[in-house]
Amino acid sequence: MSTQKIPEIPKAALIYGSIVYWITIISCIVCMVGPVISVAFPDKNVMNPYKLFNAIFQGKDAATIWQEVGGGFPGGHFYLKHLSFGDAITQAGIAFGCSVALWGLLASAVVYVKEKNHIYVILALWVSLLVALSMIGIVSSH
Amino acid sequence: MKKMFKSPWLEVNFMLLVLILSYIALALITGSAETEAGAMSGGAIWGWLFGFFFLSFAIAMVAVIGGIGGGVLFTPFMLAFTPVDSLIVRATGLIVAMFSGLISTGLFMKTGLANLKICIFCAAAYGVGAFAGAQGAILVAQHLGATGEGIIRLALGGILCALAIYFLVGGKKIEWPEVKKVDKFTDFFKFSQPYFEVSLNKVVDYPVTRAAWITIAIVGVGLLSGFFGLGAGWAIVPAQNVIMALPLKVAAANSGVLLGMGDCIGVWPYLLMGAIIPAFVAPWLVGQVLGGLLGAMVLIRVKAGFVRFLLIGFMFFSCFGLLTKGLNMLGVIGAVPAWLNGLVFVFIFSLVTRSIIKFTRAQE
Repeated sequence: MSTQKIPEIPKAALIYGSIVYWITIISCIVCMVGPVISVAFPDKNVMNPYKLFNAIFQGKDAATIWQEVGGGFPGGHFYLKHLSFGDAITQAGIAFGCSVALWGLLASAVVYVKEKNHIYVILALWVSLLVALSMIGIVSSH
Repeated sequence: MKKMFKSPWLEVNFMLLVLILSYIALALITGSAETEAGAMSGGAIWGWLFGFFFLSFAIAMVAVIGGIGGGVLFTPFMLAFTPVDSLIVRATGLIVAMFSGLISTGLFMKTGLANLKICIFCAAAYGVGAFAGAQGAILVAQHLGATGEGIIRLALGGILCALAIYFLVGGKKIEWPEVKKVDKFTDFFKFSQPYFEVSLNKVVDYPVTRAAWITIAIVGVGLLSGFFGLGAGWAIVPAQNVIMALPLKVAAANSGVLLGMGDCIGVWPYLLMGAIIPAFVAPWLVGQVLGGLLGAMVLIRVKAGFVRFLLIGFMFFSCFGLLTKGLNMLGVIGAVPAWLNGLVFVFIFSLVTRSIIKFTRAQE
């Protein structure tokens, strides 16, 4: 059950942990600043924040909220087109955080390639591919 | 004092500074804003943004001490006691669960407690389940309307009740499981990763087994997590501990990493169909990251076993809210009056107080 020598932490794990940690923190900071820009410049938003919360607390569904407050849902990656908008900046922060496993796993896969640990190269790339496909929205049933 | 300028305190302090400045700026801007008819007042917006952050921060901290994921507290509470659409709540719940996992990943990897190989192996299965679950949730919301909203609340109420009972009786967990035979399939993946166990003051290596069975279990766990936006630490830990024979601490660390990794797949269907509304999600996300970090750094050292009873009480109360609201939405019963909610709250938390007193006396 036990050995005496203190083991080294695998490099792939350290790299994955660091990438996830820092991207999560960056994503969090962007999500702190985004809402300030939103309320400071209400017209520079896809959805006016002052009208948005009313709609949410009236129990309206997502499609109706986007339609009534924003004139329709512009797509999950709308931040790419409106990067100066307050809610687009917040959405960019959320999206960056939600893609973190992709960047971490790609870096881990590189380490596994160097270590010639082929099975984990394949598995890391498989999970990365699932994240990437999910992000792009290629696999969707609706 | 010096440690305040070193990682992780440096980034925590920086985030706290940005947070304080952000909320001061928000207060100044919203306080002087003139809003149109039909829009919410600036003061109310500030109140909601701060309230969401504060609640998320508290949930993250309490969840760290109680060993229960934030998603299990957030989603049932919001569905039971707010009028917010269930798909928006579940999508936000998945973000809550995911970011509480992501922020703990760095620490678990640095200490060697989490096993990246096992996490990647399980994520390959969990991601498929979480993605399918999220797609299922969207389909149900699009096709079942108000009936679907009621059914989802009832189903979640049932799951939460079962979970609360499971947490109450403790479940079948083994701190250091014995592995008599490692099967060939598991052996092929070479999962072994010895780590230094502080409590035993020695290096621990752990053989694992039944890797094929864990994939089936984890797909199911992913489905539940993706569909209900609950997070799934409550299921991943016992699954890895009982099926794969992972030491309890390693299973708990893996669960955080796996949630962060796997929900990166499950969350995107919600994001791409608009169920994640940035201004609504942002304060919850920030609360999870800051609360999770501070909770792990400061409060994890506090021996506060009684918090578990509070969490269980909270779960039973949310369960009551979910079941009554679900039945109300299906037209079976009328709206539950506020006094009845209050009475149930007093009853549940008097039992919680009694359990805490008993627990504290037993500890003494």
